Amino acid sequence: MSDEYRFEEEEFTTQFNGQTVLRIIKQGLHHWPLMLFFLVSIATVSALDSYFTYLSKRIMDEGIIAGNADVLTRIILQYGALMLLQAVMVFGFITCAGMLSERVQYDLRKTMFGRLQELSLSYFDRTPVGWLMSRVTSDTQRVGDLVSWGFLDVTWGFTNITTALVFMFFISWRMALIVLVMIPVLIVVATIFKKKILVEYRKVRKLNSKITGSYNENITGVRVVKSLRREEENLREFGELSGDMYKAGYRAAWLSALFLPTVLLITSLGVGSVIVYGGYQFQLGGMTIGGIQAFISYIFFMMWPVQEMARVYAEMQQSIASGERIFSLIDAVPEIQNQPGAGDPGSIRGDIVFDNVDFYYEAEKPVLTNFNLTIKQGETIALVGPTGAGKSTLVNLICRFYEPKNGRILIAGHNYRDLTLHAIHSRIGMVLQTPHLFSGTVMENLRYGRLEATEDEVIAAAQMAGADTFISKLEKGYHTQVGEGGVLLSVGQKQLISLARAVLAEPDIFIMDEATSSVDTLTEALIQQGMDRLMEGRTSFVIAHRLSTIKRADRILVIENGGVSEMGTHAELIRKRGHYYDLYTKQFRDEMEQAYAAQKVETELALAA
Amino acid sequence: MDNLDYDLKQIVTQRRLVGLWRILAGYRWLYLLAIVSIGLSALMRSTIYYALGYYVDNVLSSDGSILRQSLLVGTAVVGLALLQGALTFVSGRSAAKTAEGITRRLRNYLYDHIQRLSFTYHDNMQTGELLQRSTSDVDALRRLFAEQLNGIGNITLLFLVNFVALLMLNVRLALYSVVVIPFIIGVSLYFFKKVGEVYETYQEQEATLSNRLQENLSGVRVVKAFARQSYEIDMFEVDNQEKYRRGKRLIFMHASFWPVTDIMCGIQMLAGFFLGARMAINGIITPGEYLTYAGLVVLIIWPIRNLGRLITQMSTGLVSFDRVRDIIREDREPLDAGTYIPEDGLRGAVQFKNLHFAYDKETPVLHDISFDVEPGQVIALLGSTGSGKTSLVNLLPRFYDYTGGSLTLDGVELREYPRIWLRRQIGIVQQEPFLFSRSIRENITYGVGRTVSDAEVETAARAAAIHDVILSFPNGYETLVGERGVTLSGGQKQRVTIARTLLKNPRILIMDDATSSVDTETEASIRAALQGLMATRTTFVIAHRIQSVMDADLILVLDNGRIIQRGTHTKLLDQPGTYQQIYNLQARIEAELEKEIASVGSGSNGNGNGQHNGRFQEKITTTIATN
Repeated sequence: MSDEYRFEEEEFTTQFNGQTVLRIIKQGLHHWPLMLFFLVSIATVSALDSYFTYLSKRIMDEGIIAGNADVLTRIILQYGALMLLQAVMVFGFITCAGMLSERVQYDLRKTMFGRLQELSLSYFDRTPVGWLMSRVTSDTQRVGDLVSWGFLDVTWGFTNITTALVFMFFISWRMALIVLVMIPVLIVVATIFKKKILVEYRKVRKLNSKITGSYNENITGVRVVKSLRREEENLREFGELSGDMYKAGYRAAWLSALFLPTVLLITSLGVGSVIVYGGYQFQLGGMTIGGIQAFISYIFFMMWPVQEMARVYAEMQQSIASGERIFSLIDAVPEIQNQPGAGDPGSIRGDIVFDNVDFYYEAEKPVLTNFNLTIKQGETIALVGPTGAGKSTLVNLICRFYEPKNGRILIAGHNYRDLTLHAIHSRIGMVLQTPHLFSGTVMENLRYGRLEATEDEVIAAAQMAGADTFISKLEKGYHTQVGEGGVLLSVGQKQLISLARAVLAEPDIFIMDEATSSVDTLTEALIQQGMDRLMEGRTSFVIAHRLSTIKRADRILVIENGGVSEMGTHAELIRKRGHYYDLYTKQFRDEMEQAYAAQKVETELALAA
Repeated sequence: MDNLDYDLKQIVTQRRLVGLWRILAGYRWLYLLAIVSIGLSALMRSTIYYALGYYVDNVLSSDGSILRQSLLVGTAVVGLALLQGALTFVSGRSAAKTAEGITRRLRNYLYDHIQRLSFTYHDNMQTGELLQRSTSDVDALRRLFAEQLNGIGNITLLFLVNFVALLMLNVRLALYSVVVIPFIIGVSLYFFKKVGEVYETYQEQEATLSNRLQENLSGVRVVKAFARQSYEIDMFEVDNQEKYRRGKRLIFMHASFWPVTDIMCGIQMLAGFFLGARMAINGIITPGEYLTYAGLVVLIIWPIRNLGRLITQMSTGLVSFDRVRDIIREDREPLDAGTYIPEDGLRGAVQFKNLHFAYDKETPVLHDISFDVEPGQVIALLGSTGSGKTSLVNLLPRFYDYTGGSLTLDGVELREYPRIWLRRQIGIVQQEPFLFSRSIRENITYGVGRTVSDAEVETAARAAAIHDVILSFPNGYETLVGERGVTLSGGQKQRVTIARTLLKNPRILIMDDATSSVDTETEASIRAALQGLMATRTTFVIAHRIQSVMDADLILVLDNGRIIQRGTHTKLLDQPGTYQQIYNLQARIEAELEKEIASVGSGSNGNGNGQHNGRFQEKITTTIATN
């Protein structure tokens, strides 16, 4: 399956994929008692409906025509009792089908989430978060509904038609044959309509997302629209779109509106024949009034499942496509897995060696070729360069989020493929540029570093990272909620928390991506201090944006266009007058300007006070 | 099509019903036809049962050959069914045409309305909110006309027609047959309201679960870096369980409602059957009449249950209607209000005189702004964030209207010019470049309002130093921008918008910090390209670095909405004040940088500031010398 196909939303396959259907059924079979019970109860409900029509026939023939009030009472009582049974069955099938649907959804979500935790970072780089989200939300919903309500509709329709036929044959086989002729006609008609209506609805959906996109751009770009006075042209373009939508929507709606009358006409032809042929039979004594009444009911009765067919079929197609996408996610194989025999040496303190490493994201664009680098235990490496140049690639390789395509990376003397992922990941401390916090309290977020840490240990770590000061000033201290993604805190505060989180983890290797956005001077100093403490004695990599950090590093790697363009100490690189020199001077100006601006504000504030 | 230009402003009324009536303008007869047809089709349906009753009583019981009569009845049934079907179709088609038609009109109107609402409105409204109202709420309104209103009409008419038919059959029987109806309506209303509430908690949990997932996916690096997969799985499990639990609650509600009402309807129906059959046995009604009765009573009882659902849905549809009306209620910015259009074009003389401006009355943004601009001059605005630079230039195209003083263009008060004409004369390169998800070419020609040759487009792109970048894309100028195409860097986007503005060829040019996200080298080449352009037209440049403003004919230094300094570069340098401070500061930084580098680079001593700063360097040296 190509990526292009995979990310196309709402598109469904044109035919049933047998294997997917089987797998979907299997999902339901995990809870086979529920499935069995709802199928049995819906079949009973449907069969009872047919039987009720038969009872109506008996009311007419044995009660009214025979003039027997006692028999009438008996039939009515039987009818009532069965009706109660049917109500119980209705309760049963709604409960079981609903539970099954929820249960299957629950299972699928669980399986998918588990799989998502195993997949390698490369998978997430390729796959938009939105795509994954809809797999876990809307697609599971559809598959859950297919296993329950979809199968329910099919069973209901099937039982409905077959039991009705059985009763009709029982009443009069000759007349039943007439009805039997009608059924294929109905199915053919329904199929034709189904196809046409589906095509239109697909158009409607596509247009709908275009319309939403168009609104979105018009709203977000309204300032540009106004300044370029594009209003008339935009409206004309949108008018075309909404005109197409009108046509497609209207066509889909009237096609649907035509479907019912067509089915009605075919069934009424059946009713007409029953009237004529039934009357003839009645005179011969082969038919009763109740029998004719029952036939008419049965025929009208059969309209409903046929009418529903188009809807059910469309929904099934969608659900199966959803199933395909879900299974493609479940079947995805993590690119980076523990190798057989991989172990955990207990510590990964030691030198890190890039040995003839080749790496690329896409084969045509090599990022590292024959790359060699030895980083001594305890060294601090600064990575500098423009955004998007590939600074994080090196970090990703060291963390084994990605693996070299050729060559090897040694950590503390081990080829890191001989180590378990857990052995590496659990000993790396990481602070991201826009630190990711989870909703919950400060304490919970800190404890993410080491789940079993005691409250005192957490606080000690926060103190060491310099985060304690601001945390204790928060209204609820360590038990303050940070909000979704930590929105209630500033970037600087989030970085302090993630520093403390890394401190708590006591990593062997420390990786830091400095924040580019301005952080106030005090927080900045605190972050620096925290970093210093963390980096002490640890091999550290800093994606550096601040001169002070860069200058303090043992070595600087300048990354440009995906590769390492310069390497050396600050003094060496300045003397070289190359890229680093340019970056440095530009950065110097920016930083100083900011520093003075901040100073100016501070003096003004001081004067105002 | 029909009535596309009905002014929907009129649907904003005190009373919602009047609004609904007005939104139907041009479709009222059609919608009435939809409803009348439903009623008539119900009537046909009832007639079929009457025909069947007649068949039983008069045809079957007669002696002799009944073939001719049977054929007659059979044909009548088919004919009635045909009529019923045709009427249903007419009804469905008319309702669809009405719903789609008014939705289309509403969509167009809203689209246009949104792009004509003032800047002030957009400043205060969230994109997501506006988007939701113009898509899902409009769709809810469509369903109101396509499904709910006519659905309610359908059930009501079906009931009325059949009830009358029953009354004609036998009054006593008819009255006994509807005893349970009010109860069913009551129960279903209550139920669907409750289900709506429970469904909301289910949806809330869905949102919680999605958030949890979203956090996990966007924080995937953190999860992996701390090897916290199993912890995450446990956390997800809790929310997943909760969703399952709430889902079960919803199911139990449905599982109770349907059988309970099944029993209610069933008992009512059976009681009717019993009573009717007894009457038939006792000869009060004929067997044929009983057959008619049995057919009709089913049509009266069962559909009623859906009334509760439709009414509940309708109330949410009405809420959507209100939310859409809230947007329409806002007044548009009158684009062509203003009478003055100079015959021989705009020269570009601008005069601010004691001008005041505030977004809202409490917080004034600009105070007492006065300055004169000759045609073709370059005015630079310098100042910190929030000092009022952007607010000032936004007054020129009348994005906002000043609240006091005067602002004239070629000697005529700005208010006299129609907005649409003004905006044609003024080109703005905004601070945050915005591109549309169209091809690069379309983005450059966006808003030019005439067909443009490729050569023109390329010239503009070259001047904006973006031509070569565009050619490096596989599809060149036809490359799509955004999600479906290439992602441009901030600087590249900025240059595309510059090209767009160049192509527009405005009389007045506004550069709002336009080169901030462009690297210094590119900035130099853009500036060179702009020199020629700026020579002939009045230009406003917003910047916060001395390099970008030193060539201006007039530099205005703004602070807190006031002009605190004005003059040319040389003049301002001699004045003690902010400008001098900023200048000295930047000079000092350069000096410090020199020192810093010298201290490290002991090997070679550098004049190496890169050529782009050479000129500035020179000036610094002279300034330091003169001071």
